[in-house]
Amino acid sequence: MVHKKVVVKICVGTACFVQGGADLLLYEDFLDPDLLSMCEIEGSSCIGRCKLDDFEGKAPFVEIDGTVFGQMTPKRLIQLIREAVNAGNK
Amino acid sequence: MNDIFIDVDYHQMYKSGQKIGGDVFLQSKHARSNQIVCTLSDGLGSGVKANVLANLTAHMAHKLSFSPMHITKSAKIIMNTLPVCSERKISYSTFTIADIRCDNPHEITAQLIEYDNPPVLHFCGSVQRTIGVKRINLDREGAYKEEVVRQSSLALDMGDRLIMFTDGVTQSGMGKTFPLGWRHTGVAKYISDLIEHNPDISSRELSAAIIRKAVTFDAFSAKDDITCAVVYVRRPRRTLVVTGPPFTRDNDELLMQKVRDFDGKKIISGGTTAQIISRLTGKKVSVDLSSWSVGVPPVSKMDGIDLVTEGMLTLAKVATALEQKIPVNTMGNDAVRRFVSLMLDSDQVSFIVGTKINEAHQDPNIPVEIGIRRTIVGRIRNALEQQFLKETVLEYL
Repeated sequence: MVHKKVVVKICVGTACFVQGGADLLLYEDFLDPDLLSMCEIEGSSCIGRCKLDDFEGKAPFVEIDGTVFGQMTPKRLIQLIREAVNAGNK
Repeated sequence: MNDIFIDVDYHQMYKSGQKIGGDVFLQSKHARSNQIVCTLSDGLGSGVKANVLANLTAHMAHKLSFSPMHITKSAKIIMNTLPVCSERKISYSTFTIADIRCDNPHEITAQLIEYDNPPVLHFCGSVQRTIGVKRINLDREGAYKEEVVRQSSLALDMGDRLIMFTDGVTQSGMGKTFPLGWRHTGVAKYISDLIEHNPDISSRELSAAIIRKAVTFDAFSAKDDITCAVVYVRRPRRTLVVTGPPFTRDNDELLMQKVRDFDGKKIISGGTTAQIISRLTGKKVSVDLSSWSVGVPPVSKMDGIDLVTEGMLTLAKVATALEQKIPVNTMGNDAVRRFVSLMLDSDQVSFIVGTKINEAHQDPNIPVEIGIRRTIVGRIRNALEQQFLKETVLEYL
């Protein structure tokens, strides 16, 4: 059975990059290879959320299957990708 | 901006085993008077002593050539000032000064003053031209030998080159590959062949090629300090750097037109700026996650643009790299390396700086200092003009 891959966009805008986004770019080091094979990870220029005061959380931002999450850390990214992959499997 | 560019660069290798050299090359440019002065000096011996002699000579010759004083007087002052070598009991170093003036694009003149260096070569394309030389006897008091300064003046055209070198080049391979070294005629023949095969060879590449050849004749262990400098008159290579969104949205279209119509290499520095251009041209920006390093966000790709980078962090690193003259080959494979390479490979750099403030950069919680765009672009311009003799223009939008 072929699963649709989870699309992950890591913001590499200046504000995100300096506030932890750079750590997220090391995803090949901290993501489980199985999980890595289930998603398509790409960079994105500023997605503009850092300029909105009312948005949940702060930089760095990551978009997973169209939903934007703030205050991303490698640990949280693993968890969110796993959730998205599991949701896709059901 | 001028339609003519005078490309000056040099290459140098110290005597094998020496960490400091006795050959010194200086160049400087007077922006207002369109004057370029290049000075090459070779001090007696090698190592620290030679370096002191050559540095003194080169700096004095350099400064004096900007003064209205007659050259014979300057040369006497230089020789009277040099310290005396404890072993050889003489004070001695050679020099070549090229004073190039470009009053209008059709009239470039060069004044050459040479003292005991191998004669300067003048090439028009791959053809060597003879230089009419006037010999001036210095008649200095306390001279231990006849001191003759060679003075010449010539006109330079598009595609002309002046090549100056120290005796390390002409004497390379002496007693090994050749009984009397590579010699002046050998060097001239080699240069002519090189230019014939690669008519647009830059000063940097040509001087490096000559040095490499000379070191090869010395069996890869230089017997003397080897230095070669090239002055090349050619059409300028241009690069456009666009950074920051325009202050008002109405100017987005204008920015796009300026980028589209520019004749030369194009760099966009700034994610939002790239998005504006992308929106208006319909060309997609894609981030290349393979090329980044600590402190430098990844490079992006866009059709028709040579380099797309993040803005402030990359620019700040580029400014530092240019100011400190960090060699390109020691940098990581990131945006800064590509940015600096493009800058160094061009002669005229135009900056279009958008003045809109990015609110996200004003957050006091951001752990690194994000500078002000105008200041950083100012630093880059300064470094390019002062240290690399590039021409720059700046435009705010």
